[in-house]
Amino acid sequence: MDYSIEKFLWAFLGLFIILNWGMLMSALMRRIGAKLAGRIGVPLYQPWVDLLKLMSLKTWLSHGVMYYIGPVFRLVGGVGMFLFMPVIFGIEIWSNYSFSGDLILLLYFQSFGMLGMAMGASESGSPHAAIGISRGLSQFAAVEVPMTLAVIAIAIQHQTFSFSEIMAAQQGGIMNWTLFTNPLASIAGMLAMLGAMSHSPFNLVKAPNEIPIGPPTEYHSSFLSVLRTNSAILHVVEAALFMNLFFGGADSWYMYIIKTFFVYFISVFVGMVFPRFKIEDSIRWFLKWPTAIGIIAVIVAAYW
Amino acid sequence: MEYVIMTTGFALAIFGLYGLLSQKNLIKIIIGFSIFTTGINIVMVAIGYVRGGIAPILDNEGISQIAAQKSIVDPVPQALVLTSIVIGLGVTALMLAYVMKLYQDKKSLNINDYKNLKW
Amino acid sequence: MVGPIYIIALALGLAFFLGFFGKSLKTFSGFVMLAGLAGMTFISGQWLMAFVDGSATTQEIFTAGFKPPFSINLRMGIEEATFTFMINVIGLLGGIYLFNRLKEVGNSAMSVFIVLIMSLNVIVMTRDIFNLFVFVEIGSIATAGMIILDKTSKSLQAGLKYLLATGVISGLLLIGIIFAYYFAGSLNIDGIIAANLMASKAGAVAVFLIIAVLVLELKPFPANGWGLDVYESSNPGFGAIVSAGTATAGLFVLYKVLPMGGDAWYQYISIIGLITFVGSNLVGTQQKIANRLLGYSSIGQIGLVMTVIGLQPILGDAFAFIAFALLLNHFLAKAGLFWISGIIKKENITDWSALRKNSALLIMFVIFIFALIGFPPFPSFFGKYELIMSLISSDNIWVAVVILIGSFAEGIYMFRWLGHVLKNENSEEEVLDIPWNKFIPIVLVTVSLLAAGFYSVPFVAGANYFYFVPLAFILFLGLIDFLPAYIKNTVSIAGMGYYSWLLYPLVEGDLMRTIFFAIFMFGGILTLVVGYNKSGKREGFYPVALMMYAGLATIVTTDNMFGFFFGWELMTAGSYFLIIRGKRSKPHAYSYMLFSVAGAYLILLGFGLAHASGQTQALIALKDISVLPTLAYTLLAVGFMTKTASLGLHIWLPGAHGEAESDVSPMVSAVLLKAGVFGLMLLFLYMGEQTGDTLLFILGWVGAFTALVGNLAASFQEDAKRMLAYSSIGQLGYILFAIAMMTQLGWLAGFTYVINHFLFKAILFMVVGGIVVKAGTHNLYQMGGLIKKMPLSFLAVLIAMITMAGLPPLSGFAGKWLFYNAVILKGWYIQGVIVFFAGTIAFLYAFKLLHSIFLGQLKDNHRNLKEISPSILIPVYILIAGIFYFSAFPQDVLEPIGNMLANYFPSTLEWAADGNAVTILSNWNGNAVMIIIISMFVLVLGYLWLITGKTQKLEQFNIVYSAERPFRPETTHVSHNMFAGLNKAIGFLVAPGITNFWNNVSKMVLDFAGVVRRLYSGNGQVYAIHIIIYIVVFYLISIG
Repeated sequence: MDYSIEKFLWAFLGLFIILNWGMLMSALMRRIGAKLAGRIGVPLYQPWVDLLKLMSLKTWLSHGVMYYIGPVFRLVGGVGMFLFMPVIFGIEIWSNYSFSGDLILLLYFQSFGMLGMAMGASESGSPHAAIGISRGLSQFAAVEVPMTLAVIAIAIQHQTFSFSEIMAAQQGGIMNWTLFTNPLASIAGMLAMLGAMSHSPFNLVKAPNEIPIGPPTEYHSSFLSVLRTNSAILHVVEAALFMNLFFGGADSWYMYIIKTFFVYFISVFVGMVFPRFKIEDSIRWFLKWPTAIGIIAVIVAAYW
Repeated sequence: MEYVIMTTGFALAIFGLYGLLSQKNLIKIIIGFSIFTTGINIVMVAIGYVRGGIAPILDNEGISQIAAQKSIVDPVPQALVLTSIVIGLGVTALMLAYVMKLYQDKKSLNINDYKNLKW
Repeated sequence: MVGPIYIIALALGLAFFLGFFGKSLKTFSGFVMLAGLAGMTFISGQWLMAFVDGSATTQEIFTAGFKPPFSINLRMGIEEATFTFMINVIGLLGGIYLFNRLKEVGNSAMSVFIVLIMSLNVIVMTRDIFNLFVFVEIGSIATAGMIILDKTSKSLQAGLKYLLATGVISGLLLIGIIFAYYFAGSLNIDGIIAANLMASKAGAVAVFLIIAVLVLELKPFPANGWGLDVYESSNPGFGAIVSAGTATAGLFVLYKVLPMGGDAWYQYISIIGLITFVGSNLVGTQQKIANRLLGYSSIGQIGLVMTVIGLQPILGDAFAFIAFALLLNHFLAKAGLFWISGIIKKENITDWSALRKNSALLIMFVIFIFALIGFPPFPSFFGKYELIMSLISSDNIWVAVVILIGSFAEGIYMFRWLGHVLKNENSEEEVLDIPWNKFIPIVLVTVSLLAAGFYSVPFVAGANYFYFVPLAFILFLGLIDFLPAYIKNTVSIAGMGYYSWLLYPLVEGDLMRTIFFAIFMFGGILTLVVGYNKSGKREGFYPVALMMYAGLATIVTTDNMFGFFFGWELMTAGSYFLIIRGKRSKPHAYSYMLFSVAGAYLILLGFGLAHASGQTQALIALKDISVLPTLAYTLLAVGFMTKTASLGLHIWLPGAHGEAESDVSPMVSAVLLKAGVFGLMLLFLYMGEQTGDTLLFILGWVGAFTALVGNLAASFQEDAKRMLAYSSIGQLGYILFAIAMMTQLGWLAGFTYVINHFLFKAILFMVVGGIVVKAGTHNLYQMGGLIKKMPLSFLAVLIAMITMAGLPPLSGFAGKWLFYNAVILKGWYIQGVIVFFAGTIAFLYAFKLLHSIFLGQLKDNHRNLKEISPSILIPVYILIAGIFYFSAFPQDVLEPIGNMLANYFPSTLEWAADGNAVTILSNWNGNAVMIIIISMFVLVLGYLWLITGKTQKLEQFNIVYSAERPFRPETTHVSHNMFAGLNKAIGFLVAPGITNFWNNVSKMVLDFAGVVRRLYSGNGQVYAIHIIIYIVVFYLISIG
């Protein structure tokens, strides 16, 4: 266990990189979306401008203590996910604090920020927030089923929950990726990812135009800047999680950026094609096909 | 002879029992009961009978005690019958008293009218 | 010493002379009668004493100096002395009870009463079969006289039916006697036995008639309508005499003459007894009239003793104790109940709540009911336990099963009745008139019942006088019940503390027991601390709470099955009373009790099988059960699962826990449920994985579905406490699943869940209970925004919920991590996924509870609420300290447990020096996670504070709301049906199918009883026909 300043600084550097990559990536996605719609789209530096603007706005208003620390929970959740996962395969300085746990820790830590944020948003008393959260939680529960099945299939396949071991097992060529060694688990996991990323058709939590923007409705200025920071980090980290599980991980920053971009792009792409589900339909969908595939994946992994 | 008596006794008991079970009038039911007990009493007497026996009375003047033990009819059932008759009397009297009270209560002698307690 | 013949002389003389006293001397006559009864009691009591200390030998008394068959022969041995003493005592107490009524009616009634008691004495003592007939008849006539002590239309009808029935019966008896005499040449019972009439067909018929008729005198089901009518319509004071006195004498006679028939007859009698016990109790389930209900119960209990008499050859040495314990129990309890009925004077059991006006009477009523069902510490408990053990050891498991079914049926109506008494509306105007002469007899039988329980100890293997120590303390608490609650609370806590200290050496060194002991005792004390916020006296709370904890302590410290069962039943009884204290708890406490009693009986059967194979009462007998092992382990597992509320057996829990008082809910949820877990763990350890392979596999699935359904149902609840209750079902499902895996990791996960569930569920129920009282509603959607009023409560609930949801860094995650590892290593993937799915659903209700109570919109009627009482918050924060300790240093807790488990399972978990837990699959460092998350939290919070600066509080409705400003919290607070989408998608999983199933089962039983009881048409002739049919059928089965 290493709690040294040096370790901290390396981790902080990594965090800084993926924060910026996350913002760049979101600008890229917005531009791609705009192109599809025949618009020009935002300039690539737009997220930085937004963030700086939000940070510099004077914040005067708060709904209470929980409301105040909700974004803290959220950002801790995002940062924590980053810290508990090794960034680059095989390089000690980029392993972050992954010694404290592994895939199981990450799966549960996902919810830490989500629940904290939910508490904060709830305190505002905005019905939109509560509605968004109730949908989000319901959908999350359903998404977790194929996700868990995929994780278990992988754990059976590799006999480990450790990221570095899962990544190690996928080294040495594209055909060693879980995507090809365990395609069913990968499909289940990637379908779950669509839910986890909360893009259309599963963007029920924020559901723009339906319940203003859901939980963050009451958040503004610096609170919102924290949330924006987090979402930039989280997009990359979530993509990295799936990259590590199914796409062989990354042995360099170069690969990291390319792979996270494409993983993230899958969810955005699907979102551009499909309209939004109703909540019960979304739940049914996840509990139907992805779950069935996941079960088969587990059975195959266990008994083949 | 004793078989005739015993058969009669059983027949009476069964008739009495039938009456007790089939009649609806309370008085008739009690009459049935009386016949039933009488029949049983007759059976009891018949059991103790010894063919050609004499009355079980020992007075030192007639036959010797040893001879008496062989020739007298069994005195025990006869003693029992006496007790039984007394008890039967008591029960019958009590039943009649009950019927009287019941009649005062509901002015009916039909047993079907006395079904307030059930289940 | 006064000769036994003087009992008869005294009674006859008195009955005769009472007739001479004029009407003006009624009171005097009454005292003379009592003196006579006291004299009779004295004579038999004196003989009993002499027999007990060995100074007397059995006396044979011959009339007029002749030997049988020429004389009437009485016997006074220890049995006769005991039974005449019982009869005379009930005569004396009954006489005292009926004193006023007898006086009103007159000297004749007193004569009849004393003659009745005398006839019962002679029935017991006589060895002459015709003399028996005579006194049976005298008894019948006297009974017919006493039936109309209260001269009502109903009692007149009952009396006539009684006369008709007994008339037919005695006629048949007479035929039997005369033929027995004819073939045996003797009227003496011993002579007839010696003659062995069974050898010839005709002789067998004679024996048949005698025994069958004596059975009929005991009112066997279903030829007993006439007897029921007597119980229903006569004066309850007399009902007590019939139920206790007449039946006792009748049973003794049966016992006396049964050797005439030889082995085959013992079997018939046991079957008749069983049919009566089960049939009568089953039909009783539909009964609403108190005295008739007592009649059903009396007949049932007598049937049970009849069974035991029939089982005499099987039971061997244990027979005397079992029969006597059961009889004495019935004798005392039923007399007491009839007497109470005479004071209450309410026909319908739903009106019996009047009993609550006198707490002494209420307590005695409760004691009688529990004694009848066979709860500790009453003699029937000991007797029944020994009976079941002996039956199963002698390969008569079916008899044991049927007896327990009958017992359960009795529980069905007894606990329904008790529920009415404890919970029904009570009119204020009526006062309960309790004359001392009616009260004293009830007190005396109660005391005797308790004493009889105490003196049962030496007769049962494994029983220990030490078990009565906490009971004495409970009695003491009952006696100081008039003191204010806080004093009793302090006394209780001190008592529990001392008792824990006293018992601790028993569990020391056994980690598993120590953990449960700590949960039970320490948890118990903490939940008691919450009680300091209750004002007033809290009448009756402390004795029952301590009873539950005493039971729990016994369970966890005992080393034998008897002790375990004793503790189990004590805990059940205590928790029942705790649960029923809730305002709307009547139906829930009732179903709790029924499930508990059924579960306890399954456990008892399981113990019986274990005992039969190990021939020991030590718990080790559960290892390697050789008699029907699969059945035994299944019975035990299902029995324990009634307490852990596993799927299918869970329907009692939500109501029972949800409606309980605010400090009772944590007791029954956080603490009590662990008793079932302890039982299961104990069972599984003894059973081993090999033996229980299939069972464990099934239980794993049951556990998984319990977790899913429990959590899903919790997330759809609108009632705060019910939500927590359903959550308990879910959590207990995890535990069942975890320990069913039978691996070190599975059990570690199980222990983690046990500890965590204790910690967080106690916190949640304490806080939510406190809030519910303050807010005046259970409904989540009627609360909201309370964080501003109760920040400490919010923090506590938040921490508890994070723990429950299993989020890092708190200790809940330890359970999840162990779970994942265990599932993969065990290979229970699909079940595991169901459990994890359930785990995510836990987030839903965690959020719903936090949001609906504390966040969202504050309601207008809650604007003046204050933080909940410190007496709740202090124990809560002690528990939170526990959570944090466990979270930050999981190794301190889990490593010893893991080492302990390594004795039973292969070890698959290593602890590195730095606190890293390592399995072959995974690693986790709880300590590091805690440090990192807290550091991050501080850093991010500091960052936000830096960029935010000073903030100003917004007002309540100042939110973005479709450009409108909401002004009603009710319309803005999103809570009701919060997870509608989920409900639409998978709500069918929690459709009340299981509740409907049990409802249908109970409806079927009750309908069946409703059909069967139509036999009792009310017509005296029909009853006589029943008797004839009974005789015929009985004849065909036994001889024909």
